[in-house]
Amino acid sequence: MKKSENKGIGLLLLGIFIVGFFLFFTNNFYKSVWKKSGLEKAEEIRNYDRQYEMIVGSGKSEFWQAVYESARKTAEEHDAYVEFHASDMETGYDEIDYMEISIASGVDGIILEYNGEDALKNEIDKAEAAGIPVITIMNDAPDSRRQSFVGVNDYQMGQAYGEQIVRLLDENTKRILILLDSEKGDLEKNQLYSQISNAVLSQNNTEGIEIRAENLAPENKFDIEEAIRMIFQSPEGPPQILVCMDEMTTECAYQAMIDYNMVGEVKIIGYYISETIRSAVEKGLISVTCTLDAEGMGKDCVDALWELKQEGRANSYYNAELEFLGKEDLRKARKAVSAETAEEEE
Amino acid sequence: MNKKRWKDIPLARKVMLAVGSIMTMMLAINVILYGQVNKTIKRMDTVYSSNVNLTELSDSLQRVQEDLYAYLSVKSSDSLESYYRSKQNYVNLLDKLSSQISSNPSRLLEKNIKSMSETYASITEEAVTAKRSRNVEKYKELYDQSRKLYGYINFYINELNSQQFRNNSSSYQTLREMLEYLEISSLVLMVLMMGLGAMMLFGITKGMIEPLTNLAETANLVGKGNFNVKMPRTDALDEVGIVTRAFNTMVESLEEYIIRTKESMEKEQQMMEKELLMKNHLKEAQLKYLQSQINPHFLFNSLNAGAQLAMMEDAEKTCIFVEKMADFFRYNVKKGMEDASLEEELTAVDNYIYILNVRFAGDIHFTKAVDESLMDCRIPSMILQPIVENAVNHGIRNIDWEGKILLEITGAENQILIRIKDNGKGMSQERIREVLSGNSGEAEEQSDSTGVGMNNVISRLELYYDQKNLVEINSQGVNMGTEIILRLPRTGGKK
Repeated sequence: MKKSENKGIGLLLLGIFIVGFFLFFTNNFYKSVWKKSGLEKAEEIRNYDRQYEMIVGSGKSEFWQAVYESARKTAEEHDAYVEFHASDMETGYDEIDYMEISIASGVDGIILEYNGEDALKNEIDKAEAAGIPVITIMNDAPDSRRQSFVGVNDYQMGQAYGEQIVRLLDENTKRILILLDSEKGDLEKNQLYSQISNAVLSQNNTEGIEIRAENLAPENKFDIEEAIRMIFQSPEGPPQILVCMDEMTTECAYQAMIDYNMVGEVKIIGYYISETIRSAVEKGLISVTCTLDAEGMGKDCVDALWELKQEGRANSYYNAELEFLGKEDLRKARKAVSAETAEEEE
Repeated sequence: MNKKRWKDIPLARKVMLAVGSIMTMMLAINVILYGQVNKTIKRMDTVYSSNVNLTELSDSLQRVQEDLYAYLSVKSSDSLESYYRSKQNYVNLLDKLSSQISSNPSRLLEKNIKSMSETYASITEEAVTAKRSRNVEKYKELYDQSRKLYGYINFYINELNSQQFRNNSSSYQTLREMLEYLEISSLVLMVLMMGLGAMMLFGITKGMIEPLTNLAETANLVGKGNFNVKMPRTDALDEVGIVTRAFNTMVESLEEYIIRTKESMEKEQQMMEKELLMKNHLKEAQLKYLQSQINPHFLFNSLNAGAQLAMMEDAEKTCIFVEKMADFFRYNVKKGMEDASLEEELTAVDNYIYILNVRFAGDIHFTKAVDESLMDCRIPSMILQPIVENAVNHGIRNIDWEGKILLEITGAENQILIRIKDNGKGMSQERIREVLSGNSGEAEEQSDSTGVGMNNVISRLELYYDQKNLVEINSQGVNMGTEIILRLPRTGGKK
């Protein structure tokens, strides 16, 4: 009698336990789903004191993403939020529109990749007039009222590119084509171009080498690709050395080289190091690629804005580190990284 | 024990408790599930209400722009008023937007919309002022600016709307999944609860029914006469416990009762045997007692001596007399203990009459009519002589006429009929009843009798045959004589 009663109580407790457990489980699951459904609320939302805008041309490039990421992190330290805009986004708005929006929104600072348009200069001046400091990045608008510039100057850049080209010169080199960033004004274009050609032509045995610069002026984003294919399809054939001045151009040139089976015949000097470019360099398909310190640039922009706010003035020029990476450099870097991770694992 | 155990709770309350607890659990689960469903549905409502707000905002913005245009182109006071109204309405709507610089894209969009709208409002305001002051260049330029901003704001509102819609549709998706999940989980919970409830109810009813079933089986066994089976002891205070204990008590007392009955039956048997034995003993004792009343040893020996003396003196008559007396007493002594043949009894009667006739000088006329075939029949000894003596002493003694006594013995199939009749004083009916019932008190008067009275005779006859009404006494009244009839069962002798 006692035994069976204990058994009954045990059964009852077990049942209650099962139901309770199930309820607990359901409730927990429910809560987790609830949280998930309330994503925008559950996410760690932070409110900031200041709002900066970053307006660039190519939002999809890894380089600009890296710059933005660094800027955002730096800004966070100063209780500021950086909003990212790019003219190639689906919105159909260009830099001028974003400038106007930013001015109308009364933001606390603008980081702008200047594309050489005069109208954009006016917007910079308008922003400054409205008390919004503007920092140009990558390409400068020296005769505007912008507060600071973060980037490499063309003189430096031309010198560096020239060096790399000289290294790649051989007896087969007849033509060198420099694909300049379309948005640069004539002055800068000339500066960069003249530096490169000076550097090349100052070498021995360079007579007869044709150095040409082509300005890619894209109406839309497919233009670059089309222009590069045109170069490869031209009757005299592609140049022996092809110098690219941005990420997109590099990737397009690389793709065209493979498609037209010109590996080895065309040497590409790339720009920046996206995943595609990295693997191409490691395979030796792209001879060398130029990288800019994206992190440093992002940080410099925000720091400049912060200094302006704190002290009322900032450096007018922040130099960005420029580095050319070849096959060996990447391998070394990879080894160093793997060694580091291995060490960490130990 | 203060604590009430489960088995002490009455059955009805047990069932109520079980069902009640299951129902409570069901209710709790339902409440929780409904709470979750309710929360989810409320959430779904808010998902859509936020979109409605944005549409309203965008409509309001459009009205501001239209009214501005209307005023700038027509400059009517109506359109101005309408512009102010719609602008106010728009500004009011703006209040609901967040003005926080937030990492949340929607919030940031809200903030941007709000700041831009404020700029927009001030620009439209300026445009209206410029129109009033007829500054054509300025209001044209401001209108262009406002249009541009209008476009941006609208774009942002759409952006926010689509962002919210994206969020919401993903929320909606998860909410839907959640509802589906809730459906399943509630179903599972219900099934689980049902199973558990059924198990609980089964357990509880089994706990209640099982003892009853056992009880019924045990009762059946008891009904078949097996008193050794018993329900296991229980101290439960519920109805089943009570019935079980009552049943056990009943079985115990039934058993006890049966044992007692058996015992008493045995006792009765023993007592009956004892009683019979006692009766026998009593009879024997009575017999012995009655016989001991007749104590003729000494007399009989003396008479023998007297007869011998008379013989020596040649007194023949005396000798016969004394011999007859001796015979009479010898018979008395010899047969005192046992029964005798009818012949021997008749001899004793003859001897007695002879003695009396010697004593009373032949006054007694005694006649016998005897069926000789009955002479060998056995009857108790010392029966006839006392009756004859009684007839002499109470019947014919002291009468004026000649006394006669008749002894008649006849036989029937199983009976010996002995009739002793005198023509003496007779007996009253009262006296006859007294004699027959044994209350005659004759012993005191019988100073010269042989010692055996009617009482004794009747008692001995009854004891011997273990039968009553053997003796019948008839008398017609005073001086009409008495007749005594003995109807004795026939034993011994030829039939």
